Amino acid sequence: MTPRFEEEISLIKKVIVDFGEGRRSNLAIISDPFYGESELMDRVEGMIEDVCIRINAQSLIQSLEILKDSPGKIVIVEEAHRLYRRTIGGFDAMNRFLNMLLFSDRLFITTWNSASWRYLDEVLGLGRHFPQKVSLSKMKTDEIREMLLSGYEEGELTFLEGERGDEEKRKILKWAGRKKALMGHSLEIPYPMVDVGSIRSRLDRSEKKSPDEVFFEKLARISDGNPGVAELLWKEALDYPEVRNALKDPPSIDLSREESFALSIVLSMGSAKLAYLSDVLEPLGISAQNIANLLEERGLVSIDGEVASMRAEALKSALEHLRRLRLVW
Amino acid sequence: MADNSVAAYSNLSGSANVPSNIPDLGINSYTVINALLVLALAYVAARIAVFLLTALSERVYEHRITVKMTIPIAKFIIYGFALYHIAGSVFQLSAVQLVAFWGIAGAAIGFGLKDRVAEIVGGIVIVLDKPYQVGDKVTIEDYYGEVRDIGIRATRLVTPDDNLVSVSNQQALNQILANANAGSQEMMVVIDLFIDSSSDASRAMEILRDATVTSRYVYISDKRPVTILLKDYPFYRRVRSKAYVYDLRDEFPFETDVTKRAWDAFEAEGIEPPKAGVVDLGGGSAIDS
Repeated sequence: MTPRFEEEISLIKKVIVDFGEGRRSNLAIISDPFYGESELMDRVEGMIEDVCIRINAQSLIQSLEILKDSPGKIVIVEEAHRLYRRTIGGFDAMNRFLNMLLFSDRLFITTWNSASWRYLDEVLGLGRHFPQKVSLSKMKTDEIREMLLSGYEEGELTFLEGERGDEEKRKILKWAGRKKALMGHSLEIPYPMVDVGSIRSRLDRSEKKSPDEVFFEKLARISDGNPGVAELLWKEALDYPEVRNALKDPPSIDLSREESFALSIVLSMGSAKLAYLSDVLEPLGISAQNIANLLEERGLVSIDGEVASMRAEALKSALEHLRRLRLVW
Repeated sequence: MADNSVAAYSNLSGSANVPSNIPDLGINSYTVINALLVLALAYVAARIAVFLLTALSERVYEHRITVKMTIPIAKFIIYGFALYHIAGSVFQLSAVQLVAFWGIAGAAIGFGLKDRVAEIVGGIVIVLDKPYQVGDKVTIEDYYGEVRDIGIRATRLVTPDDNLVSVSNQQALNQILANANAGSQEMMVVIDLFIDSSSDASRAMEILRDATVTSRYVYISDKRPVTILLKDYPFYRRVRSKAYVYDLRDEFPFETDVTKRAWDAFEAEGIEPPKAGVVDLGGGSAIDS
C-alpha cells in the first residue's frame, strides 16, 4: 500500500531543511475535518522529536507564555483555528499569535480547518503569515479502496449488491409539491423533479460493474474523497466477511439562516463546546442548546456531553449547503 | 315609388356591391375568440414560466439573479409568440393585410396608444440593455426597493416597507436610476454609527470592524473587502462600515445585526453616542466616502 501523505511529508521535510539552512517559512496545513491531520502531525513529530514542541492551540488561547518557556526550535500547533471565535473581540488571541509569529525565530508548523482558514484569510490575511501552505488532497476511488482493503487478503471479503436494486426502482422523474397562496387559499402546485441518484444507478448498471467497484465508487462519492469519512462508512458497511452496500446518499439539508450559521460554526471548528457556541450565538438571540439539539436531531452533529461535533457522514452535504449559502467560503 | 325605395335599400345592404379599398382582415367573432384564447393561454404560460423560474432561482441559490434575469425575457418571448400566432394563424393575414393592419394600428397608436407602446418598447429596451434586472435593488423616482418584475408595461418594485410600486417602463428609462448591485448577487451595505467626540474612536472602529466581519450575513473576498472609515464632525464622529452581503435580501438584517452588536459593545466599553441634537441627519453628499 502506498503510504498516505507522501507529498505533504516531502514538502514539510523541505521546509524543515530550509529552516536548518536559515530560511524560515511558516507552514499551514489546511484540511476539512476527518482528513487525518493528527496522523500527519504524528509522523512529522516523529521526524523532529528532539527539536520540536507539539501543542494544541486550545492551550494558547489564554496566554502564549507556554511557548516562550519551551526549548523547541520548531513548534507544531494543532488546530490553530481554535485561537479565534466569531464574536466581537474574538480575534484577540489570534492576533497575539500572529504578532508572535512575526517576531519569532522559530519555525511554526500549523494545522487549520479549511473553512476557518478561508474565513480568516479574508478577515486577517492569514496567508501572509504562512508563506508555505499545503491542502490535504482528496483521495481517489482507487486510493480509498487500497487504504480500506490493505488489511485483507484478496477474496477474503464478499461484497453484496445490497440496496442497488431499490435505487433502480426509483423513478427518474418524480413530482414534488410547492405551496402557493391564491385568492386566500393555499394550493399545492405539483412540479416535476429529476432524481439524479436514480439516473446514476441506471448508468452504473449499464456499465456492468462488479459489486465491489460499485461499492467503492459510491463510497468515494459520498465521502467526497475524505479518508476519515470513508473509514467510518466502511466500518458501518463491514459485517465480516461481508460488505453490505447499504451506503445512502446524504439527505439534502433544509435549515434556516440561523441554524445554518450555527452549523457553520461547528463545521469551521470540527467540534465546539456548547459554551463556545453560546458565546457566538447568544448575542444574536439564538439559544445554543436548542439549535445544537436541532442539528443533532437532523443528523448533522453529535452531542457528547458538552461538545457538539460534526457527524462525518453529514460532512459533504453540510459543506455543500453552507457553500451554497456562502456561510463557508 | 315603393319599388324604387326597395331597390335603394337592397343596394345599401348588399355590401358586395359597395366599392371599397379597405382589404378584408377576416375578423369575425370566431377569430376574435380564438385570439383572446391565445392571449389567455399566453398569460397562463407566462405565469407558469415565472413560477417555475422563480422556484428554480431559489433552488440554485448562488445563481439566483442570473435565473431571475431570464424571467422578463421568457415573458416577452411568450407574448411575442402569441402575437405572432394571432397575426399569422388566427387572422391568417396576407402581406397586404398586414400592411393594412399596421397602418390602422399605427393610426391607433398615433392617436391613443402612444404611451402604451412606449411602455412596451421601454420594456424591451430594459430587457436588452439591462439597466436593472429582476432581483436588483434600485432607486427609481425616490422609490428604493427590489425589482420583482419587469412586465410588458411596467416595472414593479417592492420597497423595504413591503409596498408594491409600479413604474412604467418608459418612465423608468427616462429617470436617473441608481442600481445598488447591478446584476450581482452581492451588495454593498453602508452602516453609519455616530459617537461622541470624546469617545475612543480607534476602539469604536475596531469594534465596528469585528461586528461587521463576524456577522452571519457578511461576505468578504478580495473583490468584496470590508472597509471601516472615520469622519470627524464639529461635535461628534461618524464611524462607517462598508461591507457586502452575499444575498442582497439580507441588507437590512445585516445592518440591524451589526448595529445592535456594535452598540452593545460600545456601551460595554463606555463609547457614547453624540449629545442630543448635534447630529445632522441630512445625509452625505455623493462624494462622501
